[in-house]
Amino acid sequence: MRRLLFLCTFLLPVLMALAQSRTITGKITDENGNAIAGATVAVKGTKTAVLTDADGNYSITAEKNATTLVFSYVGKAPDEVSIGNNTVINTSLKAEDNTLQEVVVVGYGTQRKRDLTGNVSKINGEATRNVPVQSFDQALSGRAAGVSVMIPNGVLNNPPVIRVRGISSINLSSFPLVVIDGVPTFVGNVGTASNPTSTGVTAPNNILADINPSDIESFEVLKDAAASAIYGSRASAGVLIITTKKGKQGRAKVNYDGWVGFTKAMNLLDVLNAEEYVTLKNEGLTNIGTPPNGTTRGFYLQTGPDGKTIDTDWYDYIYQTGMSQSHTMNISGASDKTSYYFSFGYTNQEGMLKKNTFKRLAGRMNLDHKVSDRITIGGNFTYSNSSNFAPNSGSLPTQAFNTSGLGRLPLVLAPNVAPYNPDGSYNINIAGNTIGQGANLTALNFTNPVMILDLNKFSAESDRILANVYADIKLLKGLNFRTVFGIDYLNTLSKEFQNPIHGDGTNTLGAAANLQQRFQRQNWQNLLTFERKLGESHSVNLLLGNEQQFTFNEGWGAQRRQVGDSYFDEYQGGYVLIVPSFTSFPNSNFLGESYLVSFFGRLNYDYKKKYFLSLNARRDGYSAFAPGKKYGNFGGASAGWAISQENFFKNSALANVFSSFKLRGSYGQVGNINGIADFASYFLFTSALYGSQSALFYSQAGNTDLTWETSKKTDIGFEAGFLNNRITVDFAYYNNNIDGLVLNDPQSPSKGVAFINTLPTSAATLAGGVVPVNIGRMVNTGFEFTVNTRVVSKKDFTWSSNFNIATLKNEVKELASGNADIFIATSGLERPSIIRVGESIGSFFAVRTNGVNPANGRRIFVYRNGEQVQFDLSSPVATRWTYLDGTTAPRAPDQVSDGVLIGPALPTWSGGWENTFRYQNFDLNILLYFSGGNYVYNGTKAGLRDNRNWNNSTETLNRWQRPGDVTNIPKLVFGDNLSNGSGIVISENVEKGDFLKARNISIGYSLPVSVLQKAKINSFRVYASVQNAFVVTGYTGFDPEVSSNGNNNGSPSVDRNSVPQSRTMTVGVNVGF
Amino acid sequence: MKSKIIILVITAGALFSCDKSKLEPNPQADLPATEAFATAARAQQQVNGMYVMLKTSFFFGSRFVVYGDVRGEDFLNRTNNGVTGLQTWNFSATPATNEVQYVWRDAYACINQCNIVLERIDEAPITDALKSQYKAEARTLRALSYWGLLTLYAKPYADGNGANPGVPLRLTAEYSTGNNSMTRATVAEVYTQILADLNFAETNLPLNNGSAELNTTHAHRNTAIALKTRMLLAMGRNADAITEADKLVPATAPYQAATGVAHRLEPNVASVYAPPYNTLESIFSMPFTTLDLPGTQNGLANYYMPGPVGALDYTLNTAAAGIVSNASWKATDARRAFVGTSGTSTVWRKFPSNPHTDYVPVIRYAEVLLNLAEARVKQTNTVDTRAIDLLNAVHRRSDNTTTYVPGDFATPAALLAQIAIERRIEFLGEGLRNFDIMRNLQPFPPKGTAPVVTPNANAYIWPIPQSELFSNPVAQQNPGY
Repeated sequence: MRRLLFLCTFLLPVLMALAQSRTITGKITDENGNAIAGATVAVKGTKTAVLTDADGNYSITAEKNATTLVFSYVGKAPDEVSIGNNTVINTSLKAEDNTLQEVVVVGYGTQRKRDLTGNVSKINGEATRNVPVQSFDQALSGRAAGVSVMIPNGVLNNPPVIRVRGISSINLSSFPLVVIDGVPTFVGNVGTASNPTSTGVTAPNNILADINPSDIESFEVLKDAAASAIYGSRASAGVLIITTKKGKQGRAKVNYDGWVGFTKAMNLLDVLNAEEYVTLKNEGLTNIGTPPNGTTRGFYLQTGPDGKTIDTDWYDYIYQTGMSQSHTMNISGASDKTSYYFSFGYTNQEGMLKKNTFKRLAGRMNLDHKVSDRITIGGNFTYSNSSNFAPNSGSLPTQAFNTSGLGRLPLVLAPNVAPYNPDGSYNINIAGNTIGQGANLTALNFTNPVMILDLNKFSAESDRILANVYADIKLLKGLNFRTVFGIDYLNTLSKEFQNPIHGDGTNTLGAAANLQQRFQRQNWQNLLTFERKLGESHSVNLLLGNEQQFTFNEGWGAQRRQVGDSYFDEYQGGYVLIVPSFTSFPNSNFLGESYLVSFFGRLNYDYKKKYFLSLNARRDGYSAFAPGKKYGNFGGASAGWAISQENFFKNSALANVFSSFKLRGSYGQVGNINGIADFASYFLFTSALYGSQSALFYSQAGNTDLTWETSKKTDIGFEAGFLNNRITVDFAYYNNNIDGLVLNDPQSPSKGVAFINTLPTSAATLAGGVVPVNIGRMVNTGFEFTVNTRVVSKKDFTWSSNFNIATLKNEVKELASGNADIFIATSGLERPSIIRVGESIGSFFAVRTNGVNPANGRRIFVYRNGEQVQFDLSSPVATRWTYLDGTTAPRAPDQVSDGVLIGPALPTWSGGWENTFRYQNFDLNILLYFSGGNYVYNGTKAGLRDNRNWNNSTETLNRWQRPGDVTNIPKLVFGDNLSNGSGIVISENVEKGDFLKARNISIGYSLPVSVLQKAKINSFRVYASVQNAFVVTGYTGFDPEVSSNGNNNGSPSVDRNSVPQSRTMTVGVNVGF
Repeated sequence: MKSKIIILVITAGALFSCDKSKLEPNPQADLPATEAFATAARAQQQVNGMYVMLKTSFFFGSRFVVYGDVRGEDFLNRTNNGVTGLQTWNFSATPATNEVQYVWRDAYACINQCNIVLERIDEAPITDALKSQYKAEARTLRALSYWGLLTLYAKPYADGNGANPGVPLRLTAEYSTGNNSMTRATVAEVYTQILADLNFAETNLPLNNGSAELNTTHAHRNTAIALKTRMLLAMGRNADAITEADKLVPATAPYQAATGVAHRLEPNVASVYAPPYNTLESIFSMPFTTLDLPGTQNGLANYYMPGPVGALDYTLNTAAAGIVSNASWKATDARRAFVGTSGTSTVWRKFPSNPHTDYVPVIRYAEVLLNLAEARVKQTNTVDTRAIDLLNAVHRRSDNTTTYVPGDFATPAALLAQIAIERRIEFLGEGLRNFDIMRNLQPFPPKGTAPVVTPNANAYIWPIPQSELFSNPVAQQNPGY
């Protein structure tokens, strides 16, 4: 009875309400009149809410006494309409005015941008959607202030150089931590190298390309300590958070994105033709006193079988117009309980280099399901298969001086010889392992690229599973527990075949290597969040978390040598010998593991949305450090003041100008372990062979005091909106003080410790004995400035413009060994880069040159004491170096003692400017990327002016010939490789690196709604775009956007025998059903 | 409510979980230092490790040997490649030159591995006799390494009786940071240590290592003695050199060591350089196998052989100064079989194998014979008949059309000159030319575009590497660098 009574008392009002309710219908559109599907319509003050259908229509039942309907939709400003007596209410939702309302993803959670006190840049996923790149990170340049994304060159899938507020380490990684859907992922170029952050594989394999760029909803870059300290020991280089797409409320939507494109090399430099080559090289021979004599020396034209003089443009044999395509299909949607997003992507891209291809097949499933009011579960699953084929481009780190590198070959190969003999066979000289001589009598010494392109193969293929599952449990009101388990499993197979006849494979008589590498990561996070509003004024958000990350990696392989038959070019074919991979590929044999355990917490508090405070703390334990040094503490604090919320502000005249104004500041300490070897603190003996006997030798000098690099980050800034937020401005000053840099403390080589039996890449390892020690310090400071404006927003025409610029001043403060300079080698040979206290890291260091002496055509060098000396290879050894008055100089200048610091290699300013125009159904987007204030070492130019048998650039036609000639090209003396800078790094080859580049220009047309409705499709857009449309620069090489040393910290902006950038033109469609 | 408590407890537990064992992993592919000498087998492997370090590509495995030849006049540089010794060949090496830094690095890495063995071998569960033997091996290799350093970075002993700066004399094991500074001992001090090490080795090394292979690749008593003849000759202690050599060389032919390994000349010189490379003539050689090859751009074959075997960085100097043009080296000489041609180049084919598995000799019995011959001539200052007999033993093994007789030599100097020529023919490609020129304070003759370098020229010796001076500034740089 009582139950019945209860039921009645409960049901009665409901029934009454039903009886007194009314139905309201209507349609919701956007400002352009397009229907909005999935918008929420709610009766204010009740739980009653419905969603609009695909055509934007809704129907809602409201109580009689309901007064107001609330309309809302993601990205639109909510609208409230009083019901009155209306039964039909149509409304148009405008784009959310206030960008500060945006939700941004932060570490282990989300926050409204309005409430943020940390410095976070958000980049919309649209930025990478239609761009002809291999990996999403290549499409991020110029998008956010302080986030520099540089493409090293035009080799497909070469990892870009990403720096958030500058370089954050010398020996460890300066690449930001990349977190995909909450799980930290592997980054870098994975192939024959020992770990994901190092390099050495011929086919570059940026494993971020395993993610389909179309699947990305948004990027968030955490730049300061307040935002990134929650990632503790991994956040020193900033954090790049990637969130993939989820299904949105409404019926299933199908989207197809497809494009096809054509890629060509950009800005190839002109080199001498056959006739010019013969003239200039013979002039060189004459000038050294050994003129061409027709019998034993000299360069000569020859006639091909067609009766014409052979004049080979080697570019034709190395570069091509590559065709690329990409197709992505996704299906997404959501009910009130379940949301889903499925996608499938396929891309097949050809590079500007022959035999350079990239293919990816990727599938993704993102699912979220509300099991009950308390429990939500879900997860993401991605599988991808990426395969990279690349010839030996000579353009990756360590490759710059490869004798068969394709960046250099077309520049230096003699144009008066042909790739093929008249009978169609390859034109080669077997004994010298060079291209055939043709009619030349003086020896040539580069290989025939055509044969190598045809017969050699290099590939890296990855299988990748990225997946996570989570459960979210509401424990109490405001108290949530979330557990997430994620895996990142990467298997890479690198393959190489080198033919036995020509090129690098001749020593091994033909060899195939297969190298297998596995990287596995498991990451488990447990998060407890508490969110509560205390009274009207106080909001509190507390996060407590635990994270454990276990990483395992191993690599092994073998090389088979002496191929049994020319038919075979795979490892499984017939060979005579087998040798373990590490004989030929240092670092290919490895086995390691690491474990990171973390405890962290964050407290966000605000008072009336005026005063904001955020505190976070993290304690990390890492396995690579010795007992007693395993744990490190990190944390940060930040505060914000929304002045525009203050009454005095609102009531002042300022309110007429500023629609919003917030000051913020933060300070904190984060760490860096990215790049610390798994067993860095251990003292190790390594096994080796002595003939057929096994052996052990001391190989690693450990350091039990080794610990984290720390970065103390300060950030002060403001964000302001003008004219009802039509213009928003974000300004920040930052200072990153990086301390305890892990440096290879060079030990006296005579101590003989920690022997590393590979060709070293820096002076530190050159020393022979190095011990990693926390000893260096470096500071990055700068300003960031961002302006976003909606310049015009009319119904038929909109123009929005986003501009950002950041400055960077890097200064090395302390180094090992009493602040000894560190010279960083490019590919183990040339050392144009120096790390010196008081200077920007990797600044250029060269012997000063002072042009060409018009009297005798000799290059003028400058000693450390300012004395000028000139060089002439044709003089006897003792008198090659003379003062300008002709008296003998005592010595040759050398880089270490005569070198001077030329200037920074790191750009001191960089940024982007994006303009988007829409006129009716047309859209036009122009993204400019600029950078400068730095120098670029144009080592390629040294090669292009080399006086050995190498071909030269056409500028050498302007060489010195007779007294009085004023020119920048010295007298040609055959064999001279000093005057041009090949043998010694000279200031002549260090150039300003300022540039402005049109990174992407695209123009699109969307079908109007009326047509779409007839065709029963949601959206249809066609577009054409140009990636790397043009570059404006005074730099004389291919392109000042270059990095022969890839992501290497200490040697940026080096241009040494790299291939240029590529230009890609695409046409594509975006269709939604 | 109960379930809520359980959930809260689980939650709290989850927030503090940690897998302690994973925080302290053990490397699986390398051996932690604490384990390094824990078993008898490991002790043996550590000893082998010293040989590995001696055999590195910049040391006795290949490049040190190449530099020893190409500083001399018998080879011409063909490829002009800075990576393959160009600056050593034409005497333009600087403190930053790769080989100047790497030879030094590799030599000291070997010395430190020897010092580690000397310091820690007592931990190993092995007999005292074996410990002494291992220590003797360590001191043999340490002595050889110091000798290698002296031949390039220091003035010869003959220049001022060893009073010039030698190299830092490191005799204790180094494991980590600290102890960077050490001044250079004098040449004489280093030679004194070398002799002390070799004397200890002679006493404690076994007579025989038990197999032809181990007798070639590991030190035994005669190895120490043979090396002493080389050292003493360099020091001008000819009488002592004779004493040592006499331990291995009987008074009259046939020449064969009477104690220890029965070293003798191989009847056919070619068999010394042919598999299995472990003849009785090979007192000490660096072994290679297809699994243990010299690296890229290493290996003697890479330097001297044309493609596809090597890169032919160096060809034989066919000008008058080059030994290949010397009239003493007749066409009938078996060693002429090592001379070949490639195009217009004359090439040296003593180490022709591909893959590069030819053993690299460190010291051969032929050297002991010629060391003795030279020491006798210098000691007696006569046209010593026993010296001529020893010269004939080496020469006639390969060329029995020539027999040297006392009448061929007007003066002792003429005999010494002929012995020197015999050494150039016999040891061509084995890295002794630089040592032979310098210990006699002779100039390096000009060749191709490379200049003459006299004993008082700065370029006569290499500079101390810049990497050493970075962290050890008290090591004094050689003049002129």
